[in-house]
Amino acid sequence: MSTPPIIPMQETPKARHPMAEAWEMFRGNHAAMVALVVLTLIIITAIIGPYIYPTDPFDMVWAPFSPPGVDGFLLGTDYLGRDLMAALIHGARVSIVIGVAAAFMSVFIGVTVGALAGFYRGWVEELLMRITEFFQVLPTLLFAMVIVALFGASLPMITFAIGVVSWTAVARITRSEFLRIRELEYVTASRASGAKNGKLMFQIILPNALPPIIVQAALMVGSAILFEAGLSFLGLTDPNVVSWGQVIGSNRQYILDASYTVTIPGIAIFVTVLAISLVGDGLNDALNPKLRQR
Amino acid sequence: MNKFVKGLAMATALTASFATLTKAEEPKMGGTLITVLGSNVRNLNSAVQSGIVTGFPGAQLFASPLRYDENWEPQPYLAETWEVSEDGLTVTLNLVKNATFHDGMPLTSEDVAFSVEVIKTNHPFKSMFAPVESVSTPDAHTAILNLSRPHPALMLAMSGQLMSIIPKHIYGDGEIKDVKTHARNNENVVGSGPFKLTEFKNGEHVILERFDDFFIEGRPYLDKIVMRIITDPAARAIAYENGELHMGAFESLPRIINRLKKVDSLTVTSDGYGAIGPVDWLAMNTTKGPLADVRVRKAIAYAVDKNFIHKALMQGTASDSTSGIHPDSPFYAAQEGYEVDLEKSAALLDEAGFPVKDGTRMSLTIDFGWPGVKPQVEYVKAALKKVNIDVQVRASADFPTWAKKMGTMDFDMSWDTVFNWGDPVIGVHRTYDSTNIAKGVWSNTQGYSNARVDELMAMAAVETDPAKRKALYGEFQQIIADELPVYHTNTVPYHTVYNDKVGNPPLGIWGSSTPIDMTYLKE
Repeated sequence: MSTPPIIPMQETPKARHPMAEAWEMFRGNHAAMVALVVLTLIIITAIIGPYIYPTDPFDMVWAPFSPPGVDGFLLGTDYLGRDLMAALIHGARVSIVIGVAAAFMSVFIGVTVGALAGFYRGWVEELLMRITEFFQVLPTLLFAMVIVALFGASLPMITFAIGVVSWTAVARITRSEFLRIRELEYVTASRASGAKNGKLMFQIILPNALPPIIVQAALMVGSAILFEAGLSFLGLTDPNVVSWGQVIGSNRQYILDASYTVTIPGIAIFVTVLAISLVGDGLNDALNPKLRQR
Repeated sequence: MNKFVKGLAMATALTASFATLTKAEEPKMGGTLITVLGSNVRNLNSAVQSGIVTGFPGAQLFASPLRYDENWEPQPYLAETWEVSEDGLTVTLNLVKNATFHDGMPLTSEDVAFSVEVIKTNHPFKSMFAPVESVSTPDAHTAILNLSRPHPALMLAMSGQLMSIIPKHIYGDGEIKDVKTHARNNENVVGSGPFKLTEFKNGEHVILERFDDFFIEGRPYLDKIVMRIITDPAARAIAYENGELHMGAFESLPRIINRLKKVDSLTVTSDGYGAIGPVDWLAMNTTKGPLADVRVRKAIAYAVDKNFIHKALMQGTASDSTSGIHPDSPFYAAQEGYEVDLEKSAALLDEAGFPVKDGTRMSLTIDFGWPGVKPQVEYVKAALKKVNIDVQVRASADFPTWAKKMGTMDFDMSWDTVFNWGDPVIGVHRTYDSTNIAKGVWSNTQGYSNARVDELMAMAAVETDPAKRKALYGEFQQIIADELPVYHTNTVPYHTVYNDKVGNPPLGIWGSSTPIDMTYLKE
């Protein structure tokens, strides 16, 4: 009985962490990089902006309808003489928080439903997918309006409403990924070595199903911001919190006289959603292994 | 020369019914007036349905005993003459002999008696005919209203849309209370007004045509009225601008009013809404929290700058209102305003026991019932912050949700709009009467209770001498302005818009809720 020969570990100089590889891909996408920079700036503004520019967006600080740049107000004032710059900065926080929170919520619901359906199949899948379809066929904005109208327009309720109406895509993507991955050999191997269902689902399959879900989640932040803007434009918003959509909604009747009061927050929404969308696209390119070969 | 004489004759003839019309312009017969209603019509029968949208078609379809000129003087309409007895307890109406309904049946005192009963049972304004105990009908053309107490408010309640005489032979086929849902409230409507119904399609239009057997000879002047239903104010504005609409009433958005004023072919006027009497105010719940203290309510009045509301929010389209009675009403007595004074406001709050703690004195909520008044609510929030009152704006999902909050007094402050509806007894008392607390929206939702105010209202309701009535309402307004159950800020800037083709638009006291048999088209 001789001791087995020690085989020296093969150095594989090219094997890098997959995240590093994705970053490499992402960096190559110029549009996505620019968008990432813009997005970072917006997020920084949302976080520290209110401390640097502490004017309360609900305070009347000057005469109404003072145009941008005049009288020291960079973006002018609205119909009550409130500072639009303050509204934009303070509103960034609300818009982005709602966007991210709603996306988290829809990812949470979607992943749970999709994972259970894709993993267990059978009647569980039937039931959950019928429920998903039920939510899918409801007109989303109308459904969200109903929820907000019924339960009151507070920030958590608006977030909840947006999350509840937009999780179906995540559920379907997760399910299809689970259906694919659960048949792969390493999963079978894990199952054979006695891994419990919970471990299989969340430690083995889910991490490998994540890339498309991450992309979807990123895009969802953008659509959630739009959703919130839509709801607040219609007046279904917490009137004590300023958000971009709310600024547009409350100023829209003055659009002919003071168009900047709606264009400025409109541009803010546009730029943010576009940036999120481009970053999502970049993530898609970077994380999708099939595209990577191209 | 001939023209001048003719014009003079015309003017003289008109003076009887239209005192200040001095322009000797001869109305033209014929033509189709295109006009507009700002929301859908629930019910065309103005005997059972209140509101300005029902009022316009309602006053064309149904005639009332009296009509008013723009000087608040009653004029004959269905009643040729009328007489109030010495003790004020009987009102005798001598009806015109030739009035018929659109189906050819003659209008008699029976119809008047029936209509009073229907209105008493179904119309929301209970105070209009509450003292009317019975209506005697000694002959076909005499109706005597027997009252339990003198009721001077009855005179205005017999005009406009408030006392529509409906035919007993049509609406009397079931229970009185079922007239509210009668099948012919919206189709085949039969009245005795200057115009009869051709077509009513809700959401689209109400089309009326001239009633040839109208009891006033030679009227109406118009052949046809098309009332388009356009709910979006901006769409209506465009339609006025490009001439699609000849005329419209009850336009209230300052931006749009000012925009239309710049159009050469249009006349935009706030004349003619005195009896509608729409006033805006900041309602304060006097029964709970800090607002129960009159000093806090005064402090709020001193902190809210009416000047800002008039100039920035109303953009000069509204006028000041200080007392609960509309400024155009003969009973209005202007009160000392609360000039904005933040120091005085702060002092009052300190005195009331609300010192600044951690930057705020107190937290209050404010409600609003429709999006049009959101700027006012936002303004109050910003204005009260200056005296360290933290205000949370509460949004309501829809109008009924807000109305329920108001009706059950589940609020601190709210923006509200209430109409006087002619005599103060009809539309003003309800807000301050301590027996009318929390009886639904537009009752005494502030929980206000003052024995002297109750007494003054009770006395004014039965006082037949106009001068004494005015004095009673003078004291009433003084107390209201001092105790501030609501803070009166401005009138609702209702405006009538008409283009230069329209002659003699309705600019009396009832807005468009009046027969427009004298309106004509110049070409």
